[in-house]
Amino acid sequence: MKLDRKIVIVPCSGIGKAYGTVSREAAYAVTLDLRPAETQLVALSLLVLGDEAARAAVAGNPAVTIDGCKLACATKMVKESGGRVAQEIAVLDVYRRYKQFKPQGIAELNEGGQQLAHAMAMEIAATVDELREREGGTADA
Amino acid sequence: MPELPRKKVGIVACSGEELAEGTVTRLAALKVLEQLRPDNTVTICLPLFLAGGEGDRAFARFYPTVAIDGCDKRCAARATEMYSAKPAASVVVTELVAESGLDQPVGLRRLNDAGLQAVDITAARIAGMVDLLLDRHWNRRAGGFVDESSTPAEAQTPIGATCSCGSGIPVQTVDVRGTGVTLVGLPLIFQQLHEAGRQPEGSLTRDLLETVRIYNPIPFDGEADYAKALLREYAAYCAEHEVRP
Repeated sequence: MKLDRKIVIVPCSGIGKAYGTVSREAAYAVTLDLRPAETQLVALSLLVLGDEAARAAVAGNPAVTIDGCKLACATKMVKESGGRVAQEIAVLDVYRRYKQFKPQGIAELNEGGQQLAHAMAMEIAATVDELREREGGTADA
Repeated sequence: MPELPRKKVGIVACSGEELAEGTVTRLAALKVLEQLRPDNTVTICLPLFLAGGEGDRAFARFYPTVAIDGCDKRCAARATEMYSAKPAASVVVTELVAESGLDQPVGLRRLNDAGLQAVDITAARIAGMVDLLLDRHWNRRAGGFVDESSTPAEAQTPIGATCSCGSGIPVQTVDVRGTGVTLVGLPLIFQQLHEAGRQPEGSLTRDLLETVRIYNPIPFDGEADYAKALLREYAAYCAEHEVRP
């Protein structure tokens, strides 16, 4: 059985490094292109402020967090907001597996950054499918 | 007294990923940080006020801050005030767009022309605010502006960082009479005293206390305890950084 609820995607909101931009690009690719019907993007700023709708989204759905640096703000904020992180993804870990895609640029990613974001998005899409399959049986319990 | 980091203006963008106006905040912040006022601005990721440490939460107390929000939820301004200190100024993109008669920005990843114009207008507004804020004196301990006539100008020397993930103000926890006290800026103060060749001896106590007090509250009845603790910690710092032949 597949999960009826959406998988929440929470990217890093960093503007200091290219990895933050990669996390955002990957989140957009998943939520707008690859799995628009199965996922929902939640902005970190709303969680920081304690926005009720954002907190409800992470509390009521499995979340995939994408962190741009080791401070792991996305993962920490979802947990702080009472959410359950089903999968933590660190851009640096993914980059280690795709060393050929070196990300550069913050306002605009270079081609390497775009490729890394795409590779990451494909992995996240697969994770979304697995989560929906795996958690489907207990989704509405 | 050692020279401490010059006054800069902090920029905090909401970065709201679910709105085109959030993308405008991000790009406008970057334009100010990288192009318009690179020497006078620093930034911090908004979530670090919660996910980071004391140094991150000291950000808006240490720097007069401009909050840039995409919508009237004003996450950046309100969260900065909740967890750090009240921003010195703020901008809301939806209001600026209406004020300027622009079409609505569209596009989360790629902004339309109206969105790109909104970036330029927002960045120019922020740069103007930065200039105004740099002309006024900021009290880092109180996290607010102070009466121009009663406060000496802060020492100014350039530091390198202009943009950061996790580059909050350095802090150090010191044991003051059995209690751990976190002091903002202490590692920088030690570093600069050490570079100035100051020795950890009694004659340094007054300078040390006064400099630490710029950034941190020190109770007057606890001065002696703080002085003892600071001198002890500075001696340890010097020993650690001693140049051996």
